[in-house]
Amino acid sequence: MRSQNRFRRLISRRRWALVLLSLTLAGGTAALAQMVPELSGPKQSMDELAAQPMPKWVVDDVRKMRAYPDQPPVIPHSIEGYQLSVNTNRCLSCHKREFTQDSGAPMISVTHYMTRDGQMLADVSPRRYFCTACHVPQADVKPLVQNTFKDMSEMGVKPLGSE
Amino acid sequence: MKNELTRRDVLKAHAAGIAAATAGIALPANAQPVPGGLSSLEIKWSKAPCRFCGTGCGVMLGVKEGQVVATHGDMQAEVNRGLNCIKGYFLSKIMYGSDRLTTPLLRKRDGAYAKDGEFEPVSWSEAFDVMAAQCKKVLKEKGPTAVGMFGSGQWTIFEGYAATKLMRAGFRSNNLDPNARHCMASAAYAFMRTFGMDEPMGCYDDFEHADAFVLWGSNMAEMHPILWTRLADRRLGHEHVKVAVLSTFTHRSMDLADIPIVFTPGTDLAILNYIANHIITTGRVNEEFVSKHTTFMRGVTDIGYGLRPDNPVEMKAANSADPTKTEPIDFEAFKAFVSEYTLEKTAELTGVEAGFLEQLAELYADPDRKVMSLWTMGFNQHVRGVWANQMVYNIHLLTGKISEPGNSPFSLTGQPSACGTAREVGTFAHRLPADMTVTNPKHREHAEEIWRIPHGIIPEKPGYHAVQQDRMLKDGKLSFYWVQVNNNVQAGPNTSNETYQGYRNPENFIVVSDAYPTITAMSADLVLPAAMWVEKEGAYGNAERRTHVWHQLVDAPGEARSDLWQLVEFSKRFTTDEVWPAEILDKHAEFRGKTLYDVLFKNGQVDQFPLSEVKAEYANKEADAFGCYIQKGLFEEYATFGRGHGHDLAPYDRYHEERGLRWPVVDGKETKWRYREGLDPYVKPGEGVKFYGRPDGRAVILAVPYEPPAESPDEEYDVWLVTGRVLEHWHSGSMTMRVPELYKAFPGARCFMNADDARKRGLNQGAEIRIISRRGEIRSRVETRGRNRMPPGVIFVPWFDASQLINKVTLDATDPISKQTDFKKCAVKIVSVA
Amino acid sequence: MGRLKRLVGWVWRVLTTPAATLSLAFLTLGGFLGGVIFWGAFNTALEMTNTEEFCVSCHEMRANVYEELTRTIHFSNRSGVRASCPDCHVPHEWTDKIARKMQASKEVWGKIFGTINTRQKFLDHRLELAQHEWARLKANDSLECRNCHSSVAMDLSKQTQRAAEIHTRYLLAGKATCIDCHKGIAHELPNMQGIDPGWKMPKELEGETLPSASAIGDLQRAMASIHQGVITE
Repeated sequence: MRSQNRFRRLISRRRWALVLLSLTLAGGTAALAQMVPELSGPKQSMDELAAQPMPKWVVDDVRKMRAYPDQPPVIPHSIEGYQLSVNTNRCLSCHKREFTQDSGAPMISVTHYMTRDGQMLADVSPRRYFCTACHVPQADVKPLVQNTFKDMSEMGVKPLGSE
Repeated sequence: MKNELTRRDVLKAHAAGIAAATAGIALPANAQPVPGGLSSLEIKWSKAPCRFCGTGCGVMLGVKEGQVVATHGDMQAEVNRGLNCIKGYFLSKIMYGSDRLTTPLLRKRDGAYAKDGEFEPVSWSEAFDVMAAQCKKVLKEKGPTAVGMFGSGQWTIFEGYAATKLMRAGFRSNNLDPNARHCMASAAYAFMRTFGMDEPMGCYDDFEHADAFVLWGSNMAEMHPILWTRLADRRLGHEHVKVAVLSTFTHRSMDLADIPIVFTPGTDLAILNYIANHIITTGRVNEEFVSKHTTFMRGVTDIGYGLRPDNPVEMKAANSADPTKTEPIDFEAFKAFVSEYTLEKTAELTGVEAGFLEQLAELYADPDRKVMSLWTMGFNQHVRGVWANQMVYNIHLLTGKISEPGNSPFSLTGQPSACGTAREVGTFAHRLPADMTVTNPKHREHAEEIWRIPHGIIPEKPGYHAVQQDRMLKDGKLSFYWVQVNNNVQAGPNTSNETYQGYRNPENFIVVSDAYPTITAMSADLVLPAAMWVEKEGAYGNAERRTHVWHQLVDAPGEARSDLWQLVEFSKRFTTDEVWPAEILDKHAEFRGKTLYDVLFKNGQVDQFPLSEVKAEYANKEADAFGCYIQKGLFEEYATFGRGHGHDLAPYDRYHEERGLRWPVVDGKETKWRYREGLDPYVKPGEGVKFYGRPDGRAVILAVPYEPPAESPDEEYDVWLVTGRVLEHWHSGSMTMRVPELYKAFPGARCFMNADDARKRGLNQGAEIRIISRRGEIRSRVETRGRNRMPPGVIFVPWFDASQLINKVTLDATDPISKQTDFKKCAVKIVSVA
Repeated sequence: MGRLKRLVGWVWRVLTTPAATLSLAFLTLGGFLGGVIFWGAFNTALEMTNTEEFCVSCHEMRANVYEELTRTIHFSNRSGVRASCPDCHVPHEWTDKIARKMQASKEVWGKIFGTINTRQKFLDHRLELAQHEWARLKANDSLECRNCHSSVAMDLSKQTQRAAEIHTRYLLAGKATCIDCHKGIAHELPNMQGIDPGWKMPKELEGETLPSASAIGDLQRAMASIHQGVITE
């Protein structure tokens, strides 16, 4: 349902954005390092603050790169009103293997078929039934505090012939 | 080597999953040249327990160039078998918030400490100089009872143990309490009162054996997601399994419920007694078990609400002076006592449909059904929390459904080492290691012997508990206060009237050790930057008695140091002559002129393991600093308290090889179920079941009634306020709010409320509102949708958001027995900001 | 006993004796006016039963389906346009409405006999109740949805790409109707085991046979089901 080319274009664009972002971040953190940190909450601890408006969800359906391979992917759409109960699982109605060809949604990973004892089942293992324990949508907001986590792909890679 | 896997080992273990995800990286070199060779892609993998809740999941951490670059669930960990929840999967990022504290900060004016000064970076030596001077001043002016410490169920075992030694044996103050007081105290007191020994008899293996699960005030789907996967696995995989969920509102756990029960706040006590009554009247009491293994007691009633003694509510209560009193009764008296909790009366009081109540009672009454009861804060943060805990034991004891696979009353914990550190090490104001108490002279003597200090050093009087500490800080009776690994200005009850005032009281000097500038840190006078989690070697104990150890995997940023280093290093600044009574020193001259460091940590035990025993491939900053394998030394000294007394721990080194072991570890084997012959090595052949924690070997069935909450809605304050957590954030959010993905998943607190309630008040979905109680108010936003579905008259506000300090609104009422705060019930009103 | 008999006899006589003193015009006009008044009252009563207040005056509706509705986008949303119970559950055309109301007489029996007077019973019946509504909406091509959501008026550029694609492929092509995909949007779903997602396009709808879209058909079926016992015997 979705064009793969579009994704590739987006990913490569995002990669540049990431590099830029990490550069600005690195610069910014160095400058901040010696300053007394700002509190994320109210300045005078017991002051009353206006409550921020409730943000909107990111609904662009564009897959977001994982911070590391083991990270569960975040959900690039809203799941408001999705029922996820013993009666029904709205997520699986698109992401279950049998439905993905028609729905165009990514298939849930093969790890989800594994039981606690390491057996592969024909369908999603019941222990993985509640998707939202690991997968969450993202609100369209800026991070509260920047994070200096470095991607492993930026480490240890020496250009060919440098040795 | 068993405990550290290379990348290839992991790939093998996770053949299906991880290999697929990392396909691009794991390609053989001849298929696609890897710049720098395969070695440049290698990641060093090591194990650790998760940093968050009390579930105690095993995590594999990948380290590269001194940074954690990836984490995933440990396939070899029994608890989670490869799974993590969303927080666990983002552990990689918790240490890398850009505002990590990297240097001590002291409030200063004109180059010197000033209570009203501004924070300035200082060196460790200046920080400790000022801190020691302030401590000595308070000791001199107000005595040891004015010195206190607030610790945590997130302390490592060594840190809690070092703290308890420093406070009780060093400064001679029992004013040491963990934040677990807000979290676990009711459960711990109930264990002691019922079984004479703390912590559950069962373990997580019960999840795979039970035929029914009953959640009493626990939203496991969000708060213990990995245990929820085990419960869901059992329920969805086996058709006969039933799940009952009891709560004051509908939440994610109810989505799996066969029996969903929403009751009026506080009335769970009536339901518990109704079930006991149902079991008795339908003739399903396990008479053999009851007659052999239980004894009946009646507790005093009208025991007050743990408010300040001059509070009119407190003055009215008949038995607030000694709420713990009990008297023996017999089965007939118990039967008569619960007989008034009929189905009709209970349905009316609780607002629950009679049909559901009956179904619930049948789960317990049916002798062929194995039942696991689970609870957390709904029971523990309850003005009758100890009663509630004991009343659920009543039901299991009446039916004999206890201490065997699948039959298990199970108290879940909220913090990674609430059991391991707060309870087992004994960092509560009245406790010593291995379930001993400071009030018992024999216990004190035993502790002094193990610690190799003179008799009479450990004070007899229990110290101030958490809520009392806040009150005493405000009143100026507690004046030197050290807070480690918690954020009590955000977490404590009624904070703007009690907690915060004490921190800013000019008579007091407040030290806060933390990794991030929390609201508590910023309310202090001295902030000490802390190393966190895998920046130090550590040990945690989870809810199923599992002790789990990890290595230091990365270095802490800047000048940040572990709490262990801070505690032990600070002890060097005091000599025995400054803190111990002259009479004792006169009798024991060998202790004169020594530092607390010498007598507490360089005592020939803690320092007995040389540096060479530290595994060479892992850093260990504390070992380097003190010239010995101090973690092992502390652990082994601590372990002598419990070995042979039902709390046996394995030799320290073994824990580095295992994904944790459940104590008692006897003959190298862990114990999954306690108190039953064949399962527990402490029960002798022929005894069958023995609750050996109690002198008579019998567990207590307690007759106590329903009593109303401390504050209920009235005409003006017309809504119940319930506070709690959400899945994506942990506690006050100081770690999770700094992980961008977690922050974006739940960017701010909101007020979950019933849509009709909102419409009646003219409040739109998303509208800004004030939540006002008799104590204070905050602003929030109306949420009528989403995961928490509120009944009319009840709102839920999570407390992770520092910009919406809901604990300015909550009431500091506690269970009078456990002194644990009730964060689940107080009265508020909601008005529009506009 | 005798007095009652006499009274009945008297009334009968009065009613059957032809009018001697009233004009034909008066009787005709009076009959017409009476008819109008009756008709007005009937419609007013009908409309009264056609409000959300009436629906949720029953505990069964308030505590279950209404409570669930209040948490959805059909209760509060960006523009404040909202759907109340009858908007979705009662057809707007008069004949259809009457047919539905006659069906609803069965629900009155349900109320009297307490078929779903507890949450437990409601949950037990939820699948059956939902299947009725799905079948109805499937048969009338989601008529009540389309009263507000006209497919031709949808601005695809304002929808998320995913929604726009699915709507183009299935809805606009006439391959599916609203209810096929949008089950459980205003109330929680029953156990959906074995029920494929809407876009899987099952040949037959699960559960009972599909009623036709005609109001007369509905009426006949309603009558048949009410008198089921009588007719078969």
